[in-house]
Amino acid sequence: MADQQKKQQREQPTDPGEAFRNLITDWERNFDAMANRFMGTSEYSKAMNQFQNMQLEMQKRFNDLMAHNLSNFNMPSRDDILRLGESIRGIEKRLAAIELQLAKKGKKDKKDKDKKNKRKGPPRTKLPPSMQNENAS
Amino acid sequence: MSNPGFNGMSPQILERARTIVDRTIQRNIKGLDFLTTPPVPVGLTPKEVLYERGTLRLYHYLPQSDEIYRVPILMVMATTNKAYVFDLAPGQSMVEYLLKQGFDVYVIDWEPPLPEERGLNLADYTQDFIPTCVDLVLEDSSEPDISIVAYCMGGVLSLIYAATHTDGPLKNLVCLTTPVNWEEMGLTAIWSDKEHFDVDRLVDTLGIIPQDFVRASFEMLRPAQRTAGQMRVWEQMWNDDFVKSFRAFDRWGAETLPLAGEYFRDTTKELMWGNKLYNGTLVINGKTAKLSDITVPIMAAQAEHDHIVAYEASKPLMQLVGSEDKEEIVLKGGHVSLIAGPNAARRMWPRLAVWLGERSV
Repeated sequence: MADQQKKQQREQPTDPGEAFRNLITDWERNFDAMANRFMGTSEYSKAMNQFQNMQLEMQKRFNDLMAHNLSNFNMPSRDDILRLGESIRGIEKRLAAIELQLAKKGKKDKKDKDKKNKRKGPPRTKLPPSMQNENAS
Repeated sequence: MSNPGFNGMSPQILERARTIVDRTIQRNIKGLDFLTTPPVPVGLTPKEVLYERGTLRLYHYLPQSDEIYRVPILMVMATTNKAYVFDLAPGQSMVEYLLKQGFDVYVIDWEPPLPEERGLNLADYTQDFIPTCVDLVLEDSSEPDISIVAYCMGGVLSLIYAATHTDGPLKNLVCLTTPVNWEEMGLTAIWSDKEHFDVDRLVDTLGIIPQDFVRASFEMLRPAQRTAGQMRVWEQMWNDDFVKSFRAFDRWGAETLPLAGEYFRDTTKELMWGNKLYNGTLVINGKTAKLSDITVPIMAAQAEHDHIVAYEASKPLMQLVGSEDKEEIVLKGGHVSLIAGPNAARRMWPRLAVWLGERSV
């Protein structure tokens, strides 16, 4: 019954753009369903991944060639630079951990804590409506 | 007696004709604006950056209530997208809603990982980034415990964190459209079938998984969505609210993030192929992440028409966790409309606020 009413409403749209919107929605739904059926097969997955592997192989060869040339020019390769960056990241990570530990120790100081609590503004005393009602009664 | 209208035409037909002409004019005027104006501003709710390190950002949103709940909330965004989907625009912002309901809100956001961050793995996200942010939130709020609200892959990371930090400060956990059984990931599972998908070659060659790859893997799930969206916005060009909302969502969808290679390798091998979180065999830094070890109150929200994380993929969470206080809600809508937009504002945010409010004192 509800479906029939919806169908009738769609057949007689009150908004002039509604028919167009319904058309787009139907097209989108049908196209996606059809594409998903096609793309949801093992054959599609195989073909897509084979194509991707081919692209990656080409890129790898290009990377290797570039690294070889840079090495001949006695220059660091991208991988060398990245390794350097990674070791800096590692140092940053350890520094961050030390900073955090120091900050924790520093904030144990009661004065700091009181000061901080003042800065924090609103009190953390809010109750959910259900508990407010309980308290009121 | 009915009014015959202009030239014998009925008033209804005249009214429709007027609407069509009016909208056509507006479409032309506003269409030009649409094409020439810069991207819509997003994430406008006032906040401060509490911590940043490489790909990681931790924001603290400034309270907007005279009195706030004791337990702070840490929202964990999926690693594939920017966290401003939680704060799209004033009046369309989950963060703003929670602030006005009296919560103290912190958000973990991600920047595109730099090339030298290619080595970040699942352990870095779950045993370093999240615990560090949890510590910082506790420090900043001077509270002993915390609630985590996590979205999609952020939910997976939070579940692993919760399962490996069972004696930690976590008080409540909310997982929004979080996949648990990766065998039920539909097309994504088929495309990353280990028979055909060479994840090692991909990661070893590229280091960082490019944004285009991540974006294409989402868009291929609904290939007609982009074209249909463009057609819809053209038709609705006269409708300022629709256009504003469309542009914000469109911007968010376009700003997909690249992924650290090792993290992608771990996700593919451990979660997608091994389904280890579901099986209870996932080992991170020597600790086994068993969902049955999670005993804190937990809420899971799933979308009925989620094309990215099918309901079957997230459904087992409630059976697998060890919590006694657990609630699952299944709402109308899709993967994104569950958390942002009018659908979320009407259906999900109020339920989330009530559930968390009762457990945040």
